[in-house]
Amino acid sequence: MESGKTLCSLLKAIQFQECAVFCAMPEGLKLTVEEGKCVQASAYIPADNFTEYHVRDEVDVMFKISIAVLAECLNIFGSGEESSLKMYYRCEGSPLLLVLQPQSVHNVMTDCEISTQTADSLLDLRDEDAEEVAKLILKAPAFLGLLVDLERSCDVLELNLSPEHPNVSIVTYGMQDRSCIDVPKSSDMVQSFSCEEPITLKYQLHHIRLIMKALALSTKVVLRFSSNGLLLLQLKLEKEDQKQMFSEFYIVPLLDD
Amino acid sequence: MKCHVPGPNVKVLGRTIHALARFGDELYLESLADCILLRTLNASESAYAMLKFNRNFFSYFNYNYYSTEDNEGLKCKISMKSALNCFKSPAHMDKQVENLEIKLDPEQCKLIFQFKCKHGIVKTHFISILDSKAMEAVYTKDLVPNRITSSQRILSEAIGNFQNSDDQVTLEALAQSVLLRNYIDANVDLSKIIRTQINIRSVEFDSYIIGFETIITFTMKEFKALLAFAEALSLPIQLQFESTGKPVVFIIHNGSTIEAHFVLATSKPDNVTQGTSTQNSSRVEKSKRKDSNLEQGSASKKLHLDMEVSKCLDEDSHLFNFVDIPCDIVDKNNCDNIVNSEKTCVNNSVMSAMDCDNIPASPTSRTMIKSVFQRCFESTFDPRSIQRVVLAENSDSE
Repeated sequence: MESGKTLCSLLKAIQFQECAVFCAMPEGLKLTVEEGKCVQASAYIPADNFTEYHVRDEVDVMFKISIAVLAECLNIFGSGEESSLKMYYRCEGSPLLLVLQPQSVHNVMTDCEISTQTADSLLDLRDEDAEEVAKLILKAPAFLGLLVDLERSCDVLELNLSPEHPNVSIVTYGMQDRSCIDVPKSSDMVQSFSCEEPITLKYQLHHIRLIMKALALSTKVVLRFSSNGLLLLQLKLEKEDQKQMFSEFYIVPLLDD
Repeated sequence: MKCHVPGPNVKVLGRTIHALARFGDELYLESLADCILLRTLNASESAYAMLKFNRNFFSYFNYNYYSTEDNEGLKCKISMKSALNCFKSPAHMDKQVENLEIKLDPEQCKLIFQFKCKHGIVKTHFISILDSKAMEAVYTKDLVPNRITSSQRILSEAIGNFQNSDDQVTLEALAQSVLLRNYIDANVDLSKIIRTQINIRSVEFDSYIIGFETIITFTMKEFKALLAFAEALSLPIQLQFESTGKPVVFIIHNGSTIEAHFVLATSKPDNVTQGTSTQNSSRVEKSKRKDSNLEQGSASKKLHLDMEVSKCLDEDSHLFNFVDIPCDIVDKNNCDNIVNSEKTCVNNSVMSAMDCDNIPASPTSRTMIKSVFQRCFESTFDPRSIQRVVLAENSDSE
């Protein structure tokens, strides 16, 4: 890989748990963290981001690794330095090997060995039977601006989507007050809007806040709502080159009592 | 009541709310036929702020929108926290907000702030009304003998020299200059604090009328808040005050659209006995030296401010002199006469605490002993020199 910098910032964006499950598939690398069985966040790096990428097909390459240690190793020459990265992993139980070479200095190399743990099973939040009921593509910086302005003291965020005006409304309940943000689909920040039936969903605001770090790195965010209320946010990372990196968040809704 | 605030003025309103939030926890809103008044009072009732927005501040203004019979307009009290929530970031509000509509929802008893932002986004805040009473403080201005008009820059640069830990500031108004210094509590170890004093000459101010030389002490927090407000609007500040114990009124206005009055209670300078002063004189001098170094550094940065530090002890020692002013320590007029309020005059807790400081210190036992066994404490005392006169024989012969 040419530079470990973007990978490092992506890792930090999902760093709300100590350890992540590192999963290498033929399509690409995926690092996943879970928060109390309610939020699942992954950083996904498609294989085409790497100059060379080999994963054995017949075995699952899956292990648990500390995000902080991995991020620190990627940043070993300081955050200002771009360094090329090679990653090796032999088999279950063996450490992850990182070879970093700074681009500005020749003949300097770091060899890092990070011990790994056996991965816990990950939640499969996707339900094949639940179909997608609404899809929304927003500009990430504008969406972040809306989230920043939300009141910190309240816990619940209510999302109302409907085919009629106003198409998206975000409602928060404070101590005595109610705040409501309406975004029509004609707005500049909405790039695509599809919704057949009006829906109302409630999420924990704390869970929504977890995406803010990743949102700050991204250009575009896709919100997919399935019929069981599960929210999937796909964030496209801001990158200069054509190759794309993503972060994904599954957020479980709050059910009415 | 219904009114529209155009985008650039939303920023001004946001700054106002932020300044008022530094004063009190509750915001009183009142709409009259031609203006809207925002008021707040702090918990100890020692600081009060009133903002008046004239009709031309708004692009649309109707004080009795819902019924023509209602000639009273709107009077309500909302929590400052919820008001603050509507105006989260006033700095870049003017870039996002195109229009703000403030209206009263008579059915739900809610005050509605509706921001129409760029990109077609509409943010609506429904704020609960806590009370439907108005509040007003009675204070005198315009008729007071001391009036100073200053650009906010001079005052905020002067205040910038003070330590963050300083919570009160003393202003001494003299015929030719104003002395600003941090207020020092009597029971604080003088060796541990930095004393700052800034002298601003009368020519620095836009206008300067001192009819009666006086010393007033008021809180720093509210003073900084109103300075920040004046700075945000880049408007001059008018100080109007009478004497120690009477409130000081800061007026910020731009002539036609906004007028702000910030009223702060003033307290008497602390009564430190001369004894403490001389006892600690060496320490005072030490801290003063530290102080003067600090001042010289900052003065070189801001030469135009013409700040002087009085190095001689005599000049500075009036800090310890008791200024005898016949009026009550507690300013009864200030903020206490609240219209429509059942609250009775509550003495300011800060000031009553100061009252206790006037109690003279009781004589210590050490001085008693000193006078009884005086010779024992002299440095030249030699026990051997005392002629041994046995007053009583040892009972045991051995």
